[in-house]
Amino acid sequence: MIWEVFRQEKPGGYHRHVGNVHAPDREMAKLFAQIQHGRRMQTHSIWVAPQDEISEVDDEDTSFGGTTDKAYRWAMTYNRVDASGIQEVVESEAEQRAAAKKREAAKKEEADS
Amino acid sequence: MDLDTVKERAGPRQFSPKDDMPQEYREAATRMIQFHANSEVMGGYLEKPFIRQAPSLDRKLAFSAKVQDEIGHAQLLYRAAESLGVKTRDEMLDELAEGKGKFLNCFHYPMKTWYEVPMIGFFVDGAAMRRQATLKSTSWEPYAHAMDKVCFEEGFHVKHGEDMLRELMTSSKANQERTQEAFEEWWPRVIQFFGPVNSQSTHHGFAAEVGLKTKSNDELRQAFLNTYIPKAERYGLEIPDTPEIIYHEDEGRYEVVEEDLDWDQFWTIAKNDYDGSYEQIGSRADRQEAVEWVREQMDSYETAHSGTAPQAAD
Ligand SMILES: [Fe+2]
Ligand SMILES: [Fe+2]
Repeated sequence: MIWEVFRQEKPGGYHRHVGNVHAPDREMAKLFAQIQHGRRMQTHSIWVAPQDEISEVDDEDTSFGGTTDKAYRWAMTYNRVDASGIQEVVESEAEQRAAAKKREAAKKEEADS
Repeated sequence: MDLDTVKERAGPRQFSPKDDMPQEYREAATRMIQFHANSEVMGGYLEKPFIRQAPSLDRKLAFSAKVQDEIGHAQLLYRAAESLGVKTRDEMLDELAEGKGKFLNCFHYPMKTWYEVPMIGFFVDGAAMRRQATLKSTSWEPYAHAMDKVCFEEGFHVKHGEDMLRELMTSSKANQERTQEAFEEWWPRVIQFFGPVNSQSTHHGFAAEVGLKTKSNDELRQAFLNTYIPKAERYGLEIPDTPEIIYHEDEGRYEVVEEDLDWDQFWTIAKNDYDGSYEQIGSRADRQEAVEWVREQMDSYETAHSGTAPQAAD
């Protein structure tokens, strides 16, 4: 049986998918996940979930425009105003910018491969 | 965990559903997050009719996305509240429909014109975002996680809100005057967004001690005024004479003359007893009832399949 593994680095953080392990039951899956993903890196907590219980939709399945351009949703689009005086807006925009960069990089990687 | 330990350990993202939290903490956190979630719902419903009135396709796209976000924020927050084990999402939605659920003062006032839209989209969202940014370090981890996603989206709301205001205030003289009128109507409500001064706030002390709140109402209001008064002025809006706001230059602090604000109305609203409260709560309750059959179908489907379904709710 295959178990997907999610690792949380620090208390209060997010559990991020790091890979999977092959194990006969939940207890063994937890043990293998610790050995493969917990011991090597700083880890606070690990989740394991049976692969069968994980469902996926991707941008080819979705009808709500997975990769459609949604520039109107991004703070970066509204450049006729200067938000530099509002710290929390600046931070939000920076996060959005970073997310956009990541999307671009992923697209490029896909095109190159 | 006992209350003393909670107060000792209180800090950003300190407590999660894995911790055995005392009833007092769970109730205080539920009260706070439920209020926040209700406000997202009621804000979204207040704005929704204006999607149709958007003056351009660009505005319509942006504004409908914004309203959609607000309802999404409510869903995230009801989940964070549910994870405290005090109330279910259904209970909270019913309380809201029955007029028992509390929500932000600003969303008890009916909106009539497009000129009011940036009053919410810029000033109310701006005030809310100021507060939400500080809640990224609340002690209830699921609440902080919801704030991560909410704040990511709010930058768009506030900038788009500012852009709507900019557009109106750089257009015809008549538009500028109507915008000023809307501003005068909304300004005192926005100031009251942060509630009464600390001494009158009943729940602040405990929420701060256990790390749920990290900033006082007054600190938040100061930060808001510091940023948004210059913003309003930049676009040519005149700050109304009442409430009187005195700037103490030596301390870099604004003093709002509290007696200039209508606190009777504020407390009537807090009890959901204002005319607008009945209107807003009632119209949303009607819509909840209208889709009751969908909920029923989903519930019976879930019960019928509960033998095989994983614990989807968690
Ligand atoms: Fe929101
Ligand atoms: Fe918003």
